[in-house]
Amino acid sequence: MIRTDKLVFEYIRRDEEGNVEGITRAVDEVDLSVEPGQFIAILGHNGSGKSTLAKHFNALLYPTEGEVYVDGMNTDDGEHLWEIRQEAGMIFQNPDNQIIGQVVEEDVGFGPENMGVPTEEIWERVDESLKAVRMDKFRKSSPNHLSGGQKQRVSIAGVIAMHPKCIIMDEPTAMLDPNGRREVIRAARALNQVEGITIILITHYMEEVVDADKVFVMDKGRIVMEGTPREVFSRVDKLKELRLGVPQVTLLAHELAKSGLPIHEPVLTRAELVKELKALKER
Amino acid sequence: MAILLNHVNYIYDEDTAMAHPALIDVSLNIPDGQFIGLIGHTGSGKSTLIQHMNGLVKPTSGQVLFDGEDINEKGYDKKALRAKVGLVFQYPEHQLFETDCFKDVCFGPKNQGLPKKEAELRAYEALKQVGFDDEYFYQSPFDLSGGQKRRVAIAGVLAMRPQVLILDEPTAGLDPKGREDILGLISRLHKETGITIILVSHSMEDVADYVQRIIVMNSGRVQFDGEPRQVFAHYRELEEIGLAAPQVTYVMKELKEAGFDVDENATTLEEAKNEILRVFK
Repeated sequence: MIRTDKLVFEYIRRDEEGNVEGITRAVDEVDLSVEPGQFIAILGHNGSGKSTLAKHFNALLYPTEGEVYVDGMNTDDGEHLWEIRQEAGMIFQNPDNQIIGQVVEEDVGFGPENMGVPTEEIWERVDESLKAVRMDKFRKSSPNHLSGGQKQRVSIAGVIAMHPKCIIMDEPTAMLDPNGRREVIRAARALNQVEGITIILITHYMEEVVDADKVFVMDKGRIVMEGTPREVFSRVDKLKELRLGVPQVTLLAHELAKSGLPIHEPVLTRAELVKELKALKER
Repeated sequence: MAILLNHVNYIYDEDTAMAHPALIDVSLNIPDGQFIGLIGHTGSGKSTLIQHMNGLVKPTSGQVLFDGEDINEKGYDKKALRAKVGLVFQYPEHQLFETDCFKDVCFGPKNQGLPKKEAELRAYEALKQVGFDDEYFYQSPFDLSGGQKRRVAIAGVLAMRPQVLILDEPTAGLDPKGREDILGLISRLHKETGITIILVSHSMEDVADYVQRIIVMNSGRVQFDGEPRQVFAHYRELEEIGLAAPQVTYVMKELKEAGFDVDENATTLEEAKNEILRVFK
C-alpha cells in the first residue's frame, strides 16, 4: 500500500532576512513498507519525525531524497496527486481545525463533492460513512454541538466518504477525554477489520497500539525499532530511553518480574496478566 | 481557607433560546496546600469551574470566596486575585509572545506593577523553579521544544507568585517522557512551596499517581469528591459518565474476582505491585 525507499526530508532553517541558517534532517533514510489491510502504529517522542514522515504518505510533503510510493504511484509524480490524496486520507490532532460544514452531513459530503461524485451517490456515501463511525444519529446536527470524540469521528467519516484505501491518523486522540479516545480507536479498528482499510496510527498513548499488526518506533528521523506490539513492548528500558513508555499493565508486569515473580513478558492486556498470575498461583 | 464555592450556578447564554446550565449548585472547599485532580468528560463543566476560581466568569447565582472575601463584590481587586490564583490554560505555549524567554516570563510581574528589578528577580526564580537552563534564557521561546515551551509558560504564571496554581491539561500532546517531566515538576513545586494545585486532566493514571484529592464533574455538578481510592472505587459510574479508573485498578478488580486476596482499590502502580507481591509471599 505504502512504500518508502531511503526517504530523506530536510527542513531549511532561515533567519529573518531569509538567509539559510542551517538544515534539519527531519526524516533520515527511512525504508518502510505497509501492506494493504494492515493496522500500523508509529510511535516516537515529540520531534522524532513521525508527523513529517506521515505527511509524505499523502503527498503533503515531498522527499528531499528517496521515493515514496502510494499504491504503486510515486508521490513526486504530479500527475497522480489527486488520486493519491483520495486513496490515502489524513486525520489530524485538533478536531476543530478539520470541520468546515455547518451541518454534519454537509461536512462529510464535502470530499466526494469536491471529487465530482454525482449528487445521488454523495448522499449514499454520506450515509454509509456516518454509519461506519456510528454517527448517523447526528447527521443533521451542527458540529459545534458535538464532543471532541464525535467531531473526530465526523472527520473520519469525511475521509471515508472519499473511499480511501488507507487512512493516516496523526495523534487523533491527543485532545480527547477517555471516552472520546475509546470511540475513535474503536472506529479505526472497525474500519480496518470490517472495511479492510489500511490504518496508520500515530500516537503517544501506548495502550492504543497493543492490537496493531506492526509498530514502528522513530527517533531522530530514523526508524529505530519495528515489530509486533509484543516484540516492541518487551523492551521496556529501550522504550524509556526513547522518551516513550509501555501500557501501564505491561509496566506492572515488568516491575513484578523485576521483583522476582516468574512472569512471561511482555504482558499486553489485563486478561493476560490475570492469567499469568493465576497460573503462578496454581503452581 | 483559600477558595470556597458556595452554591454556585452558572447559565450560559442566559435570557436567550440557547440558555443551558454549565454549573449547577456547586459547593466546594479548596483549602491551602492541597494537590487536587479535576476530572470530567469534555463539556462536563471543568473549564467553567476553574474560570470561576479566578474571577474570569461571574456566577449566575451563588458566591465564590477567596480567603473569606466574595470576589464578585463591587470593589474587589480582581487583578490582585488573578496573580494569587494563577491559571495555566491548555496549550499555554500558544500564548508565548515575547522575543526571548526571560522577557516573556517578566511580563506577568511587570503587569502587576512591580518595579523592573523585582519583576526580573521573580522571573529568574520562576524559570529556575521549572528547571529551565540559563543558556536558553535569551532564546526565542518559539525555537524551543514543546515541553520546554510549556515550562516557560508555567514559569510565566509562577512569576506572579500565586497561592493557587490551576493547570488545564498541562500534558496534552506531549510524549510519555514529556508528560512525566511536567507532572514531576508540578509535584515538586507542590512539595517545595506548599502551593495549592488544581490539575485538570484526562489521564486517570496521571491523576491517580500524583494527587491527594479528586473532584469529578458531570453535567455541571460535582459527582464525586474524595481521595483517589474512594473515587476510583466508583469505576462503573465513572465509565457511565465517559471516564474510567486507572488500568491497574481494573487489574486488581479482576484479580479479586479470580480469587486473589488483594486490595481491589489500589490506584497506583506501586500500590498494585506491593499488593500482588504480598499475596505471593
